[in-house]
Amino acid sequence: MSGTAPEIAAPLLDIRDLKARVGGQTVLNGLSLTVRTGEVHAIMGPNGSGKSTLAYVLAGRPGYEILSGTAQLEGRDLLQLAPEERARAGLFLGFQYPVEIPGVNNAYLLKAALNAARRDRGQPELDAFDFLSLVRSKTQLMQIDDSFLGRGVNEGFSGGEKKRNEILQMLVLEPRLALLDETDSGLDIDALKVVANGVNSLRSATRSIVLVTHYQRLLDHVVPDFVHVLARGRIVRSGDRSLALELERRGYDWVTGQAAA
Amino acid sequence: MSETAPAVRASVLARVLRDFRGIAADLPGDEFAHAARARAAARLTELGWPSTRDEHWRYANLRAFERLGSFGPSPAAALPAPLALPPAVPGFERLTFIDGRRVGAAHPLLVASAPPLATAPSWPAEQRLGLLGDMFASDTARLHIRGAAAIEILFISNPASTASYPRLELRLEPDSQLQLIERHLALAPTSAASAPASPALSLTACNVTVELGRGATLTHYRLQQCHRDCVFSDSVAARLEQQSRYAVRSIAIGGGSARTSASVQLAGRGAALAWAGIAVGRGEQVHDIALTVQHAAPDTRTEELFRGIADERARVAFSGHIQIDATAPASQARQSLRGLIESNGEIDLRPRLEILTDDVRAAHGATTGRLDEDVLFYLLARGIDRPTARALLKWAFLGDVLREIEVPALRAEAERLAAGQLPDVPPLGALP
Repeated sequence: MSGTAPEIAAPLLDIRDLKARVGGQTVLNGLSLTVRTGEVHAIMGPNGSGKSTLAYVLAGRPGYEILSGTAQLEGRDLLQLAPEERARAGLFLGFQYPVEIPGVNNAYLLKAALNAARRDRGQPELDAFDFLSLVRSKTQLMQIDDSFLGRGVNEGFSGGEKKRNEILQMLVLEPRLALLDETDSGLDIDALKVVANGVNSLRSATRSIVLVTHYQRLLDHVVPDFVHVLARGRIVRSGDRSLALELERRGYDWVTGQAAA
Repeated sequence: MSETAPAVRASVLARVLRDFRGIAADLPGDEFAHAARARAAARLTELGWPSTRDEHWRYANLRAFERLGSFGPSPAAALPAPLALPPAVPGFERLTFIDGRRVGAAHPLLVASAPPLATAPSWPAEQRLGLLGDMFASDTARLHIRGAAAIEILFISNPASTASYPRLELRLEPDSQLQLIERHLALAPTSAASAPASPALSLTACNVTVELGRGATLTHYRLQQCHRDCVFSDSVAARLEQQSRYAVRSIAIGGGSARTSASVQLAGRGAALAWAGIAVGRGEQVHDIALTVQHAAPDTRTEELFRGIADERARVAFSGHIQIDATAPASQARQSLRGLIESNGEIDLRPRLEILTDDVRAAHGATTGRLDEDVLFYLLARGIDRPTARALLKWAFLGDVLREIEVPALRAEAERLAAGQLPDVPPLGALP
């Protein structure tokens, strides 16, 4: 939280009692979460607790059935929007498993995505020169070689390169809300620092970040304002950063066991 | 062939032969050429009209031949003016043929007055439609290349044409180089008041023979952009001497029914074929491509790349048969065939490697599917709208072949033609 404003900032993301089902199985079971502008939230939980489902439901991936509840982004009903409309409204999903798209190069994807968002906001499209200078400043930050812009999206990339590419896209698109699904998984410590740097560079009083993660090590580098524990499709405990550290010490059973009791 | 040919097939063959008898005496050429035409007719009679029950013709749209008006070549006619021809490709000299006949003055590269040769190739049964051209063709684009050249041959079928028989005969002397654009353009009948409500289809049946001398290089761009009332059939026979290279870049987007049947013989040591083709069908279009490659000499190579898209109710078929003889050790063959199905389209890919020697490196892959929903969602999640996302993916799919077109102006045009065939693809600009 910025802390300088006398009144509490308006909610950027407001989820109320969300229930969702995939493949006949209820995976979100009355989840509520409020994220205000400028905040960084971490959502932690054991495997199968519904973390990725939450990310996919918010981004609009097909195959997930909303049973009840609401999710609003800046007052707009997210669940009524098509996936591309959610993205243009300012939601960015950093994928846990970014797909490879041979034949569509990174620069083309970045430019198409950026200009789609700009058109939506009534801004003129960037010309080739401005686009490249914008992208180059971000590739440097992410320690990505420029030659990579001419390669197919994620084509032949290592796991770490794919994750850095996700963060690069996020930095170029400058979303209002970044939802990063296990962006730290599969990263060695150097790559983790690069990714964390990128995420931190996006932190500002006008944006929010939700980190979905299994381990707390990313949170050493991107320090969250709030930590939530997800179990069986709902948030069972919330706290500040110390909750993540305690989870690290005591394991998820400590919280999920309590919730079950 | 089956001995009990159904009545419709007999009737197509009977009409071919009747039309041939009616005009054979008026066709150009000396007595030897007339004898060659008669031999082609006799050969077709012997083979019979093809049937889709025959494996080689299973995916061909033979019913379209029943709707043809006449098999006799249309009389020479001027093109309706004004006519917008495709823009010239820089660096290429253009030679124009209308309804299979040369238009314009004599040209030093063309062998003058060229009726079909008396020694036309003997087409095998799976290429028997090549016999139609041997029977009916009036002229031949016969090129005999020494040195280097870049030529575009524009074969135009007149809107009023019922049948045309373009012929192309290429001979490259040793170490010669030719870049060739072969373009087929059948102009749609204008919406004149005289046009019947359901017009008969027109036929374009094209024969191509290629002989590459030792060390010769031919890059052969083929663009088939006929209108939808055109039944297009082409028969290609190529023979490669030692160390010669034949690169084919084929773009098939036109014709209501199109059949390409090609056979390539790698006859000399070190000869190499690189065949890259796309076929994009929509509506009721049928594209059926059959390519047979015979490795007859050591150290020969084949690279085969095919990308087909079948949209709406279109059918696209590609059969790639590579035979590596016992006389062809140390040969290499690679096939990569991929099909993309949209809505109710149908794709049939048939890779086939027949290897008769031990010392061979061969690989083949054939996959057919729809656009990957996970990939599509990834693009949507970046804010790219659905039509653009789908277009990007289809574009990427065709890119493997389009990128092989090394002439920039031609590549841009091929991209434009391909995009025009994809219902939801806005112009995307150049491929990366």
